[in-house]
Amino acid sequence: MSTEILNTENVDILEQEKQKVDRLLSMNYLTPENASFAPTPGGFVSLTAEGKTYPRVTIYRAFPFTQPGEFLSVREPDDKAREIGIIRDLSQWDEETRQNIERQLSLRYYMPAITRIYSIKEEYGYAYWSVLTDRGPCKFTISSGSSSVVRLSDSHVIVKDIDENRYEIPDLSKLTPKELKRIDLYI
Amino acid sequence: MSKRTLYSDLPADLSAALDKQGLSTEGVVIWANADMDIDCTFRMHVFVLTRTHLIHGFAPEHTTRRTMTGFGKPDAIHYDIFVWDTYELSSLTEPTIDNLVVGGMFHITIDGIDTPLAAYTNSYGRRMHKLKDLFARMLEGKELTEEQLTERDREQVCPKCGSPYPNKDRKICPKCIDRRSIFLRLFSYFKPYWGMLVVISLLSILNSLCNSIWPYLNGTILYDMVLSEDMGVVGEYMPSVTSFFTWLLILALTMAGLKLLQQLFGIVQGRIVANIVPNVVSRVKSQVFESIQSLSVSFFSKRQTGSLMTRIVDDAGSISELFIDGLPFLLPNVLTVVFSCYVMYSTNWLLALVATLVLPPAFIFVGKLEPLLWHYWSKQHQTNRNLRARVNDNLVGARVVKAFGQQEQEMARFSKANVRVQDAQMDTVRFDTKFHAIFWVAKNASVMLVWAIGSMIVLNLTGSSMTYGTLITFVGYVNLLAGPLDFFSYIFRWWAHSMNSAQRIFEIIDSQPDVVESLNPVHVDSLKGDIRLENVSFSYEPNKKVLKNVNLHVEPGKMLGIVGKSGAGKSTLVNLITRLYDPTEGNIYLDGINVRDMSFADVRRNIAFVSQETYIFRGSIYDNIVYGKPDASPEEVLNAAIAASAHNFICKLPDGYDTIVGSGGRSLSGGERQRISIARAILADPKILILDEATAAVDTETEKNIQSALSKLIVGRTTLSIAHRLSTLRDADDLIVLEDGEITEHGEHGDLVRQKGAYYKLLQIQSKALAMRGIED
Repeated sequence: MSTEILNTENVDILEQEKQKVDRLLSMNYLTPENASFAPTPGGFVSLTAEGKTYPRVTIYRAFPFTQPGEFLSVREPDDKAREIGIIRDLSQWDEETRQNIERQLSLRYYMPAITRIYSIKEEYGYAYWSVLTDRGPCKFTISSGSSSVVRLSDSHVIVKDIDENRYEIPDLSKLTPKELKRIDLYI
Repeated sequence: MSKRTLYSDLPADLSAALDKQGLSTEGVVIWANADMDIDCTFRMHVFVLTRTHLIHGFAPEHTTRRTMTGFGKPDAIHYDIFVWDTYELSSLTEPTIDNLVVGGMFHITIDGIDTPLAAYTNSYGRRMHKLKDLFARMLEGKELTEEQLTERDREQVCPKCGSPYPNKDRKICPKCIDRRSIFLRLFSYFKPYWGMLVVISLLSILNSLCNSIWPYLNGTILYDMVLSEDMGVVGEYMPSVTSFFTWLLILALTMAGLKLLQQLFGIVQGRIVANIVPNVVSRVKSQVFESIQSLSVSFFSKRQTGSLMTRIVDDAGSISELFIDGLPFLLPNVLTVVFSCYVMYSTNWLLALVATLVLPPAFIFVGKLEPLLWHYWSKQHQTNRNLRARVNDNLVGARVVKAFGQQEQEMARFSKANVRVQDAQMDTVRFDTKFHAIFWVAKNASVMLVWAIGSMIVLNLTGSSMTYGTLITFVGYVNLLAGPLDFFSYIFRWWAHSMNSAQRIFEIIDSQPDVVESLNPVHVDSLKGDIRLENVSFSYEPNKKVLKNVNLHVEPGKMLGIVGKSGAGKSTLVNLITRLYDPTEGNIYLDGINVRDMSFADVRRNIAFVSQETYIFRGSIYDNIVYGKPDASPEEVLNAAIAASAHNFICKLPDGYDTIVGSGGRSLSGGERQRISIARAILADPKILILDEATAAVDTETEKNIQSALSKLIVGRTTLSIAHRLSTLRDADDLIVLEDGEITEHGEHGDLVRQKGAYYKLLQIQSKALAMRGIED
């Protein structure tokens, strides 16, 4: 390695890298005091924080199932999706921001909830489900085998069909005994 | 070869609807459906991209009921009532798709405003992404090639029922599949044993004959003839026998003989079956294994190893069960029913009617309950599998569990799964008892009925008459019928289950590898080692390009260093050169020959691979080194091991080169494994050498050794070397930096330093020994 490249200007690069790493390793909370979200004309969300304006940001849940309203990761919308900061608790924000952000989240985490199970027919490696969801009746197919139905907790179940579309059963105890019997084999 | 399909081929109803609206369908590039509004409600959308416009149509109403893939015919889309928007291409920029957890959202900048147009579930993702890609290319002013406009694997539907295939890799509709053909195909495995099969059939006929004679001997002959001291017609065959005691003896001997014969038939039949079935099953298993070997890597990355194991072992087992315990008993059971009915009806049709009338309802009843029993069994099976997985998890992670002191929690988790097994078992037993109780009640009811009505007939209360022995015979036959009743109640389900297993097995046997060897490969003995990549793009999933338009040329004998963050596409690049995958777009040439036209053997003989994942199989170290060149002499092996600086540590092992390594054998350290795989590559003596993080797993000292081994190895070969540590690449003639699948920097060490780009930065960081590896940007 030639020595010419180890001159003084390199200290900057190292310093920059160090700062970058420091930034990466620290958690940056966005609060109503240091950041503000605004709707865009197209229906997305923009963010102004630390004197910088992001024309559009995307928002991910860190705990989509267990704490959907807390620890929201706000990221740049491109492929790299660099994290700008974290919203600790959405309920600390004003009504408008909350609705705005929840709208973005509900699209990203969209998942029909199964409320009734009409029938499940198992045949040759596939199970055919006919259900009622909160968005209307739906028929879908899962490949039988345990991995299509994921049990998140004793009462919360996620079902994945053969296209990897997801459906949830938010509360098993709300199903009738007959319906429970129908899905008994899968949970 | 089927007709080429283009993305622009509009379905007739869509085309008609556009015509009706007066929308021009000239210059259509692609069309695609989406099925959601951006407020997560369901609504059908269609996008038609032409050379001048983007046409967006959507249904006036929300979709209320939905049929997803696999359930049958897709829901009809009524294009004729759609509402239409048209955008000039000049007003549009940045077509973008945001990946959602499921599916995606399509948005585009219209007159400067980023506007979401529609979202879609996974079922529509492929075409939407293609639309976005082609759209982006058009906006950049790039030409669309014919290859890009051709739909490679159009989603096909079952010609019989119109539903899309649930598994796109295998064009089989599980609803319409002909189960008989599976059975016949399974049966074809038994062809070589047809002689034996004839013997088995004969034996089972004899067996059921013996079975069916029994009640007759036991009833009519014993009671009505011997005990009544009236041999009737039978007596005329042996007029010399007059003593009824002798008759009794003859009868007893005949009956004993029959039982003996039956046992004998059973034993012979069992032995034949035991000879044939394992043979067939092992042939099926090795065929599955064989075809797995020929499949492309993508097949394995798509499936879990566990489920593949299940297929090879469990499914073959379930088939063999049917063939051992099921089918051989089919014929005897059918024959038993036929014989019994014949005998009963020819003796007394009235009583026969009574005896058999109870059977059909009983049979239906049992058939109805049987699925439930099956359900409980499956449940029990499943909970057991769960428990096993938990135990497996725990044993594999034993060290971590202990290190974190989590034994208590593990016990709690185990007992949770354990309780589930216990519950399932109790449910099964409870139901099983109930089931059998009902079954026996039904059976005994018919016996009682025969007794009751039979007694009346014997007592001459009904006008017709019958002897006591005939009644005994009858009861015997009714009892005999219980066996087939039981058998037929589960054989159908059993059959279905086995056919299911068979189908899964055939699915693998029939799978076509994605990467197919050319039919008439160009034969190349030895390559010079010239590598050229032209516009190579590649994606594992439709929405994520791992390599984008890579162009590269490496001259024979030169070394190319590849630098980039993890996930930049470095390993994918070298995988394409060895043809583990084929590029999605573009071509790769070795010595000017397209790799697609070369035989696998030629490609792989000329390329050796030392990767970060070392594959040490079970066997001796010697076997592991000669893997790539089985005919190597011991001298060559020693030389290779010395060159790889592996000789020393191998000799120090108690068993030297004969040390058994791999699972269950002696465990080797990461560096030792690495050196063995380098020795393997040295021995294979390839023209092209690929080093994928070859020294990542070793300490600096060992790395130096390996480095010197490698520097001997790369002489006279074209070498591609992937490395995080730049010091590994100091001998490289040429370097490329890959970032997100694109070559961002290319040149010699000095050039790249002068460019002061990513390479330079990396060099700075590493020369200062700032330990930043593993931290992403």
